[in-house]
Parts: sequence; C-alpha cells; structure tokens
Amino acid sequence: MRFLAASLLLFILTAAPSAAAEDGTRLFAPCRACHSLDPAERGLPGPNLAGIIGRKVGGDAAFDYSPVLRKARDAGQRWDAQRLETFLADPADMFPGLWMSIRGIEDAAERRSLVRFLADPLSR
Amino acid sequence: MNRRQFLASAAAGMLVTPALARGAGAQEGPFRIKYYPVASATGPHDVTPAPDGTIWFTGQRNGTLGRLDPRDGSFKLVDLGKGAAPHNVIIGPDGAPWVTEGGQNAIARVDPGDHKVALFRLPEQAAYANLNTAVFDKSGIYWFTGNSGIYGRLDPTSGDIRVFRAPRGRGPYGMTVTPKGDVWYASLAGNHIARIDLATGNATVVEPPTPNQGARRVWSDSKGRIWVSEWDSGNVSVHDPADGSWKAWKLPGDSPRTYAVYVDDKDKVWLTDFSANAIVRFDPLTEKFKIFPSDRPGANVRQLDGKPGETWGAESGTDRLVVIQTVAPA
Repeated sequence: MRFLAASLLLFILTAAPSAAAEDGTRLFAPCRACHSLDPAERGLPGPNLAGIIGRKVGGDAAFDYSPVLRKARDAGQRWDAQRLETFLADPADMFPGLWMSIRGIEDAAERRSLVRFLADPLSR
Repeated sequence: MNRRQFLASAAAGMLVTPALARGAGAQEGPFRIKYYPVASATGPHDVTPAPDGTIWFTGQRNGTLGRLDPRDGSFKLVDLGKGAAPHNVIIGPDGAPWVTEGGQNAIARVDPGDHKVALFRLPEQAAYANLNTAVFDKSGIYWFTGNSGIYGRLDPTSGDIRVFRAPRGRGPYGMTVTPKGDVWYASLAGNHIARIDLATGNATVVEPPTPNQGARRVWSDSKGRIWVSEWDSGNVSVHDPADGSWKAWKLPGDSPRTYAVYVDDKDKVWLTDFSANAIVRFDPLTEKFKIFPSDRPGANVRQLDGKPGETWGAESGTDRLVVIQTVAPA
C-alpha cells in the first residue's frame, strides 16, 4: 500500500510539469507563425520572445514595435509573469492600438501555462 | 436593437456628416469618409460588402461576425462559438458570409437569413493552422490560408477539406483570385507570393524583387496583375504573371508599414499604412498617392474590400468601420 501511494505521488509529481509543458507547447503553436523562442531566429513578423520575462516591453532591439509598445518601453515597463498573464487575457485592452492582432486567452489556467512555457529558458 | 447598439448608431449619425478629404483633386473625387461605430472591444478585422447593401465584418476580439446596415448605422453581432477568433469574411456564391474561424480551427458559414452558424473543421493534421484569408475560385471551391504554414481547399457541397503544406512553411496570409480564375496567396513570414495550381493543389513560389519585404496581402486588378502590400519594406508592388515583371513603389512617409491592399473596379489601388495611421489610395496611371488619415489614433485598418464607388475597412483599434466614397463629379 505504501509502495502504491509513493508510486502515485511520484506519478503526480512527474506528470504535472509534463502536462503543463505540453499545454505550453500547444498554446504557443499558433504564436509560432510570427514569434520564435530561439534567440538565433530573426526576421519573423513578430519580435523574438527568448528571455521575455524581465525584459523591457518592446525590448527586442531588432524589432520595429507599434507606437503604444514603444511608449510603454520608454516609460520603463517590463514584462513579468503577472503583466504577461494580464496581457494575454486581452492584449488590445492593455495596449490599445497594438499592431499585433489576436483574441485574448480567456482561460486563466491556460494563460498561466503559456507564461510558464515562455518563461522557461529551455522552451523552443 | 439594444441600448448599446442604439447609442452606437446615434453616434454614427453624428459622425456621418461628410468629411471631405483634404486636397482631393476634382479629377479624383472628391472623396467622402464615413465612420460607423460598432460594439466596444469587437476588434473588427476584415469586412466585405453583401449584395443587399449590408457590410459583414469579423469581430476577432470578441469572437463574432457582425453585420452593419450603413443606411442607419445599426449592426448585429453573431456569436461564432466558444473561443472563436475570426479573421476573414467573404461572400460565397450562395450569398452567405464564409469566415476563416481561427479560434475553432474551422471554416464557418453563417446563414444570411437566420444567422445560424455551420462549422467545417480542419483535419487533425492541420491543428493550430492560424486560419487567415480565403477566396472562392470560379468553380465554387473555397481556398484558404493558414499563417502557421498551410493552405487548403473546402468543397462547400461535399464538405470535403484538403490541406497542403506551404512550400516554405509559416507565413501564408492574404489571398486573391484573378478574373481568369487563378488563385494567389502572399506569405508574410516567407517573403513571397505563390500561385496555386487548382488541379493539383501545388503552389509555385514567385519572389518579389525586394528582399525581406514581408508580402502580407494580395489583390488582383482587372488585368490579372497581382498587387502586393509589403509590410516590412513599406512598398506596394505589382507582379504581372503574363510577362513575369515587377514594379514597386514606396509609400509616403519615413517608415511606412503597408498592411492591406484592395484594387477597386477602376483599377485604383487602396492600401493601409499603420505608420501613417491612414488609408492610402495609389493611382497606377499617375503613380501618385493620396492619404486619408484616420481622425483617431491607432486605427489599424487590417483589410480593405469594396464595391463600385466605395472602399470599406475596419478600424480594429477604434471599433469602427470606415468607408471612403468616391463622389461622382456633378
């Protein structure tokens, strides 16, 4: 019985991050048309997202951002997990006039999974 | 009409007062601009005029398909389903609006009478296609692009869907059909345009002369020449498949960002420039541009369509539809 409980605990502990990672991979799939998490991959329609957590908003020096994001950058705004989650809920609400156009992610758990994925330096 | 719609249409009435474009020459207009507010946070993306005079538009931000009646500014929003994020809408041979519904990874047909929604879901191997734009070919087949790297065809009669991998992966965006019936698409991330062989489904890449130009949308003129809005270069370019030639013009301003392109019935070319926050008209005969700035910041018109005398767009950033009417000289 003790062995069974330990096995179950081990399964839960190992399965949870894996499921989250799968969610992150799945949720990031539509973003890949414009964005990359590979720091070496440049020239896409959207900014490179490698190392986005802690970075300035509008912080990919090689990318030409919308005026509203340039303004946020000049105001010193930075991406942290909370700001990114709020952004993903409705990007146009946080930054009206944003050039990127997507519908926000309604499900809070999905937003958290995507933020975890984006924050993981191993994600590609 | 609910209270919000009533207020919106009342606002439209106030804004309907014609605003003649500054500097419009007598030989080219004058032009009259009208704005039509829709519900807040709709995020209107693409538009298309219907045969009955109404204008269909996609509400990407709230997952709806809208129908505006320009006669009184009233509008109705049709819920496309949970998680819907529609991009493009066109009118089919059946008179119905057909929508690239990226949120559900499906093509949606909305009945113009009762507004019932029918979904044609993409096959599993085309999950997360990032559906973008579509056209009907002359035989009634619906062709569509998916920005994640696919294009495909839907037979509306049988419901059969076939998906093809784009030759250079991600990027397939705008689409057009020529008067002869050829179907072309633009690849934003792939920096090219491509013609689809309708029999085999194979796509042939055609390279614009400007490298890394970011070909976003395409529209055919009456001669079958393909006009291209180049996001990264800020150009409008044209390719003539008959002789393989290209020409390109930079839009006015310091760093134009050419998003949409539409060619009207007089072969005048209409564009949008996000940097200038404007709709731009280009006359291929005089090679002159005329700029129509929005009266609000961050308008972000992402697509244009029209009918004789009217060019329509949606200001995704201000939740308004806009029309520029070419007023016939008295």
